[in-house]
Amino acid sequence: MTVKQLIDKVFLTEILKGMALTFKMMLSKPVTIQYPDEKRKIYPGFRGKHAFVRDAKTGRQKCIMCMKCVNICPSQCISLKKGRDENNKPFLERYDIEALRCIYCGYCVEVCPVCALVLTEDFGYCSYTKDAIFFDKDKMLKNWDEFVAKLSGDVYWNKFWRPDGVDIAKMPKSKREQAPVPIRPTAAVPSDTVPEKKPVNPAEKPPEPAAEVEEKPEEKKEVV
Amino acid sequence: MDISSFYGFLGTDTTDFILRMIIMVAKIAVVIVIALLHVAYSTWFERKIIGHMQIRLGPMRVGYHGLLQPFADFVKLFFKEDIIPSSGDRSVFQLAPMIALFATISSLAVIPFFNDFVIAKNMNVGLLYLFAMSSLSAYGIILAGWSSNSKYAFLGGLRSSAQVISYEIALALSLVGIMVLSGSLNLVEIIEAQQKHWYGMYVVVQFPAYILFLICAFAETNRTPFDLPEAESELVAGYFVEYSGMRFSLFFMAEYIAMIIMSCIAVTCFWGGWTLPPVVMEALPFLAVVPGLVWFLLKVYCHLFLFYWVRATVPRFRYDHLMSLGWKVLIPLALANIVITSIVKFLF
Repeated sequence: MTVKQLIDKVFLTEILKGMALTFKMMLSKPVTIQYPDEKRKIYPGFRGKHAFVRDAKTGRQKCIMCMKCVNICPSQCISLKKGRDENNKPFLERYDIEALRCIYCGYCVEVCPVCALVLTEDFGYCSYTKDAIFFDKDKMLKNWDEFVAKLSGDVYWNKFWRPDGVDIAKMPKSKREQAPVPIRPTAAVPSDTVPEKKPVNPAEKPPEPAAEVEEKPEEKKEVV
Repeated sequence: MDISSFYGFLGTDTTDFILRMIIMVAKIAVVIVIALLHVAYSTWFERKIIGHMQIRLGPMRVGYHGLLQPFADFVKLFFKEDIIPSSGDRSVFQLAPMIALFATISSLAVIPFFNDFVIAKNMNVGLLYLFAMSSLSAYGIILAGWSSNSKYAFLGGLRSSAQVISYEIALALSLVGIMVLSGSLNLVEIIEAQQKHWYGMYVVVQFPAYILFLICAFAETNRTPFDLPEAESELVAGYFVEYSGMRFSLFFMAEYIAMIIMSCIAVTCFWGGWTLPPVVMEALPFLAVVPGLVWFLLKVYCHLFLFYWVRATVPRFRYDHLMSLGWKVLIPLALANIVITSIVKFLF
């Protein structure tokens, strides 16, 4: 045993070091967020309450009843029923999401060809009844209205509408051309100007590079 | 007006006796109420300190910064169901928490809080009485462990008895140096003896004994790193697993009062009790305005903070380490301290 080891043992230097550390920590700022009073910042890409995007033109959901979301859902919590009106025109008769079964993977949002679905950044929607967390199509639209009412800015973009790592050329046309959605009734009126608007979200790649979209299939062809 | 004329028909001695009794009971009531308030707020203080040391906030919701939390806890415990194990020893089970609490609470009788405010005045075996009471409270723990008829509680009780017996010796021996220097077991006289020196605190000359005393006090009150009797991770809660409601809170109070008592002993024997060192009083005479109780409580709070600080820092000891530390290190060191102190005292 060296002298230093002996000194360490007699004067409990390791314990004193530990105590110095805990004292320093006591004076530092606590990391606690007191939830109902303070809320943590929600970053874009948070997957929360389900909503249907309300289309500015029709005032209804954009769903085309393609069944892609129903098929991809890992927890099988989405159910959809296509109905036909008197003119034999298809319409969305039922669209239900059992949110209590949802695992918030966001596949339905990614797969939707018309960007009709969104997992909003709303997260506080617990309830005493199951019915309140069972979303039919009207509730989904209501969720959207409630969500956009809290947003600032004129447009909304969800990053899962155009998922990272997927070749943009492989996406359907409607998805490629999807622009940030106008969320203000006033902003919705000049609907022609909307696609030219710059996106609010910097993470979003603007849909303008049509050239890039055309280039990529060619590259793919060369490889093949 | 002579107050005895009111009670003249009882005779002077009887009147005197009744008056003394009333004063005594009032004093006891005041001390116990204040001690229980201290227990309540030392739990709050502990949770706050440990919370902040773990970069948390601690209690925040009940009252301003959780200040009413102790009362919320008390109300909750008070209205909880009192469960007595059907296979346990019923009467002993009910008796154990009372022994634990009364043994610790009666230690408050000899602590001098400020100038001559002691419940039991001129008790010439004050220090000895404190040791006796702190060993008595171990009976509460052992009986609780035995009567619960549960393996966890029983192991907790066994560990506690072994630990208290081992550390009691070192605890008492570490204070023998104080007794030698002051020549008394009376706590008031110990404080007065410290005032005769310019430094006014025996911690200056008895620093190794102070460290020994602190280590033993941690073990005696079952605090981390010596909380083996209630080791949560292995024994669930140790000796009071089977207790609930008020009986549980009696143990809880006993533990915190024991901690306060140990802090009081440390303050009285090593830090000069309610007094400040004469050298400080000469340099800053205006400090004489401050009542002695303030200094006493400040010193006690610093010790309580130390208890919590160590709890937030140090992990639990292994059982064989605990025993070898107690018997092979602390007791020899305490004996060496007595020898050296006696020699120095004899020479000068």
